[in-house]
Amino acid sequence: MPSSPPPAVKGSAIAHALADCGIDSATVVPDFVQIATHQCLDADGGRLRVTYCANENQAIHVATGLYIGGRRPVVMMQNQGLYNCVNSLRACGLDAGIPLLLMVGQFGREFSNYGQDMRASRRHMVSLLEPVLDALGIACWRLETAQDLGAIAAAHAHAEQQRSPAAIIVGRHTEWD
Amino acid sequence: MSMTTLQACRAIHEARGDAVLVSTMSAMKAMDEVAPGAPLALSSVPLMGGAAGLGLGISLARPERRVMVLDGDASLLMELGVLATVAGAAPARFVHFVFANGVQFNGNANLGLAGNGAVDFCAAARAAGYAASFRFADESELAAMLPRIIQTNGPVLVELTISPCAPVLGKGNPFPEQPDKRFQRMGNEAAQLRRLLEATS
Repeated sequence: MPSSPPPAVKGSAIAHALADCGIDSATVVPDFVQIATHQCLDADGGRLRVTYCANENQAIHVATGLYIGGRRPVVMMQNQGLYNCVNSLRACGLDAGIPLLLMVGQFGREFSNYGQDMRASRRHMVSLLEPVLDALGIACWRLETAQDLGAIAAAHAHAEQQRSPAAIIVGRHTEWD
Repeated sequence: MSMTTLQACRAIHEARGDAVLVSTMSAMKAMDEVAPGAPLALSSVPLMGGAAGLGLGISLARPERRVMVLDGDASLLMELGVLATVAGAAPARFVHFVFANGVQFNGNANLGLAGNGAVDFCAAARAAGYAASFRFADESELAAMLPRIIQTNGPVLVELTISPCAPVLGKGNPFPEQPDKRFQRMGNEAAQLRRLLEATS
């Protein structure tokens, strides 16, 4: 039976980092990699509203509406969801200039790729994510260890300043407290 | 019996009050004629399938504000799962109109669409968990019922039986270029709407 490598970042630490950025809403298509983060956000209903969406296009659309209404949303999905919602990202993020903060989990990443370049993964699901974001002109930050937590504030600031989407790539499974 | 997109939009505009209006496709074009430059409006363009999600987000951020979504049948079919997303979030002041004209590219080419125009959006909405649904094929009946519908606890879906416009594209009348403003419209309206909502909160 294969053993799991040590998880990277606690979901609670990610939730705190999002709170520090003023994030008050999340639109979500659940991601296997970010389960611990999802559970932390779900438990924080008093401060943060989570809207579960049927697919990633809707997560982008609802987050756009939330932003127009004055909220500060984060959009959570996994890599294959990002591939699913390219047109909505084009319309809302790029053409309309909505500063969408995306958290995208690298579902299906082989353990042997941990600590290596994700682009070198033998799985298209993983290796294509950064090239697709590059092609869209969407800046991205890797979140693989606790030392990377500052990426959340950096990505959020970039999105606000550039009026553009910015993506956090969650490279490893998030950890429970 | 059916009504035109323009007739339905006139009735909705009359009943609208200070609701935020999120529109797409034929209804967006008709609203440009009925109430050009009206504030508190957002166009899902070019973004078929986006209107209901955009409206839901605004409704969640501003629950005190009524939101009306003017969707198309082909557009909603692209994101039919949004019915569950809306129902799950349960926005109380959310009215979702579906302009069911049974075609794609209404007034341009009138091509077919999935389901051949036979999809029952009222039943789909109720099955997904909408609080209520209504269907109208007559403009005067729609106008008479709208004040009551608007007061109904939502989310509410209103399916409108719409007659498609005659197609105009063809040999001798080729495609027009899509102007830049079509791609800038949603962003401009989003910025304006955000400022207005902030100023009135």
